[in-house]
Amino acid sequence: MIERKATGIAGLDAMLNGGFLPESAILVEGAPGTGKTTLGLQFIINGITACDEPGLILTFEEFPQQYYRDAAGFGWDLRALEAQDKLRVIMTSPEVTLADLKRTGGLLEQQAQAIGARRILVDSLSHFERIALDQRGEHDRLAFRETVFTFINALKRLGLTAILTWETATLLGGLAGEPGGKPVAYLVDGYILLRYVEIDSVMRKAMLVLKLRGSDHAKDIRQYEITPHGLVVESRFEGRQGIMSGNAVPSMAQAFDRAFGRPRRD
Amino acid sequence: MADQDDQPSRPAADIDPHLLAFLRTRVNSFIKWDLVRFFHENVNTVDTAENIARYTGRDVSAIAPALQELVEANVLNKQDVSGITVYMLTSDEATRALIQRFILACEDRQFRVKAMYYMVRGMA
Repeated sequence: MIERKATGIAGLDAMLNGGFLPESAILVEGAPGTGKTTLGLQFIINGITACDEPGLILTFEEFPQQYYRDAAGFGWDLRALEAQDKLRVIMTSPEVTLADLKRTGGLLEQQAQAIGARRILVDSLSHFERIALDQRGEHDRLAFRETVFTFINALKRLGLTAILTWETATLLGGLAGEPGGKPVAYLVDGYILLRYVEIDSVMRKAMLVLKLRGSDHAKDIRQYEITPHGLVVESRFEGRQGIMSGNAVPSMAQAFDRAFGRPRRD
Repeated sequence: MADQDDQPSRPAADIDPHLLAFLRTRVNSFIKWDLVRFFHENVNTVDTAENIARYTGRDVSAIAPALQELVEANVLNKQDVSGITVYMLTSDEATRALIQRFILACEDRQFRVKAMYYMVRGMA
């Protein structure tokens, strides 16, 4: 039986047939506030507490203190885990990370080896865009692909299973936007979309596992909530269509029922 | 009229001698104080002078010499990563423990006032 890296989010693990495959790189894409970092933190916390797999959190721009504070809100004590050598929260920049990972025995490799890390949260991969520029200082698609490809392979070389977050600018919809329209989507082993959805004037959250290389996975769109204990994945959206566009509408059957009432069976 | 407690007559007199030496020889400027606090709070930071300047809201021209002096004082380590110079907190446990004591001591207002008084006097 193939080993799986459970996220500790029961509903998501069910969608993933138990979890991610070892040494895979999973992209988690969503708008601000959709819970990308929380999902990643749960993956790391679950690895440490339930699977005896130490982890790294690699942050670009966001201060480690922010993670300590956010995690504490869910009851996760990152400082204590660091003190136990189960976790390292590392702040650096994409250019330093990339240069470091290309070396043998680099700083990140040393940190991973020091605690026996098996999992990593990279928050966020979007920052690599600013180092993949052409001579005019404009985004270079090929250079970006090469950069991300090298980065992902270096993480795999270190034996890490990675969650890579990607922030989208648009709050609603945007399925065909970044990074779907960029090469990242093709380079990763898994791709999870987190979306806001407006239903009856209420904002809900939707999750879809778009891709999981080498494994079957659920294809339906699930509702989820960010609770005081982390992400909780709930049932699929029933009677709605256009969920990932951000503006769900009743399905034909639902609309018929609403207009004419559900036919009585007696 | 200023609070008399804010004007210690002998500021260094009741500061722990180890912390006093740390202040006098290793963290003898406000920029270095900021940097020590930054690396204490973000203990696994590894980055360039330019990025550390951004993180601390200062200009790199002010940060770079302070980083170098902290390296010379064995508070920070410096490494060349494929042509990029990066800084990180020292791995020396004794120095890390001293920094921890310094930051804890700074939570006390009286200590801060005395330390700042001493630092300004030393900079004059």
